[in-house]
Amino acid sequence: MTSKREDKTSHDQQTDLLAIEIAGIRFNNPVTTASGTCGYGLEMAELIDLNRLGGIFTKGLSARPMRGNAPWRIVETHGGMLNAIGLQNIGARTFVMEKLPALRQYNTRIIPNVFGYTVEEYLEAIEILEEGEGIDAYELNISCPNVKAGGESFANDAHLAAEVTAAVKRAARRPVIVKLSPNVTDIAEIARAVEASGADALSVINTVVGMAIDIHTRRPRLANVTGGLSGPAIKPIAVRCVFQVARAVQIPVFGIGGIATVEDALEFIIAGASAIQVGTANFYDPRASVKIIDGLAEYCQRHSLENIRELVGTVEV
Amino acid sequence: MIDTIATVELNILSSSTAARRYGRLRLRLKERIPVLPGQFAMLKPHGSPEPLLRRAMAYYRSERYADHLSVEFIYQILGRGTQALSRLRSGDEVDFLGSLGNTFDLKAAERREALLVAGGVGSAALYLLAEELRQRQIPARLFIGGASCGDLCGLEDFIHLLGSQNVYSATMDGSYGDQGFVTAPLENYLQERRSEPIIIFACGPDAMLRRVAQIASEHAIPAQVSLESPMACGFGICVGCAVAVKADCPEGFIYKKVCTDGPVFWSEELHW
Repeated sequence: MTSKREDKTSHDQQTDLLAIEIAGIRFNNPVTTASGTCGYGLEMAELIDLNRLGGIFTKGLSARPMRGNAPWRIVETHGGMLNAIGLQNIGARTFVMEKLPALRQYNTRIIPNVFGYTVEEYLEAIEILEEGEGIDAYELNISCPNVKAGGESFANDAHLAAEVTAAVKRAARRPVIVKLSPNVTDIAEIARAVEASGADALSVINTVVGMAIDIHTRRPRLANVTGGLSGPAIKPIAVRCVFQVARAVQIPVFGIGGIATVEDALEFIIAGASAIQVGTANFYDPRASVKIIDGLAEYCQRHSLENIRELVGTVEV
Repeated sequence: MIDTIATVELNILSSSTAARRYGRLRLRLKERIPVLPGQFAMLKPHGSPEPLLRRAMAYYRSERYADHLSVEFIYQILGRGTQALSRLRSGDEVDFLGSLGNTFDLKAAERREALLVAGGVGSAALYLLAEELRQRQIPARLFIGGASCGDLCGLEDFIHLLGSQNVYSATMDGSYGDQGFVTAPLENYLQERRSEPIIIFACGPDAMLRRVAQIASEHAIPAQVSLESPMACGFGICVGCAVAVKADCPEGFIYKKVCTDGPVFWSEELHW
């Protein structure tokens, strides 16, 4: 009994130290799992208590199911991995019907990641998700090619990024978080354009475009030729992007890119992230996010912080 | 499925040629989890930042004790992940995620003769199955092939288990058994014994599995194949281990996951 009460107390204490609000949504803590690295959330339930997570960003959802790319889809590189999954997903409707009812039983924020190849496709997916109960916000993956703009990625052009953000904001009754790509010349410019179009928060960053070649066959290691680099290898790029974006906008930032330990998470928060997403680490250390939550609470206690938010953007330059 | 730390009991390295080296790794687990034929675990040395990802390894054997479980793996030393495993010594710790994946359909093997077809290190995924078939008194034969005699992984164990008369070998260099592909003795056997109900279980390189699927189809024999694929997680979230499976859609196939939908598939459901 005693130990149970102690657990309860420490859990409440942890919530006091770590609870934050972003876009009007209360998160029990600032640690979430990144889109594409935790399935639809439920796949992780056997390994971690989903109630511990601040939130879950689901695998990218489109209006209709997507088959994905031919194999090979992944290749490990030094300190990271390249992936070209091709956004394989069950489609927004199946998510709402088959995954959401179980997912919303957990005391965590549920944030579907949404993508399309035209603005209309984003809106179609949002329309389906709007019918779902238990969704807290949307995250827009704008790194897809816009087929109506010659295949240029929405994320690479301030006008296209602003256009899709504004359209989704008009259609969605829930907050909209826009996920930015690092594969641009000036990420702050894109961030400002998206903020001006009504984005409630930003996720910084998506994967870094990369490539690996098999020297024996002289062919790309990925069937898709190029892929998205993730993992610890991209962390310095991500920290730099969070730092630049957090200074450019007023809206909160989810920091993401190679976070695997509490030290990584703290670095992002100090750089300007109000919350963080754990991505590739989920693959090789499924309990990474839970360890980070415990580590953040310990850090707050050790440094006499009342709440983790006191640390956000405190980097001194 | 558990995520735990296992202890290395043994890690024995062997070489076929300088180019092809193998390791035999035995781990001790406190948790006595179920270990089914065909299942696998994700492994990497504990606490090492490189390689980043765990490697998928089929269970080779397991021993259940009163207070622990011992599981054995045979792996080919190919890249950074398996090289890191090869450096493990007794007492070292390993990040262990398991048991993962489905299992061979043993019910389908009842009242049939089971033909196990293994190529190279693929034999590692078939030993537990062979043991289980023996236990259920289902007659089993092994067709094992490799580049050279040193590539016939687990050969002695299989001979001990099944009897040498039930093990057919083939090597590309003729250093052991027939010279050529393992599918040749398999075809010979099928030609002589066509009347008996048979089931095939296979694991090996893609080209071998493709040929086995073709042979099975020609002889109208049910066949299960255990697939290998690069995978980051092993439990269904990375979607890296895609395999094309026949489906009723315009393209004729969809992608399934080797880790959670497999690694064992009926050969006729695969879109070869």
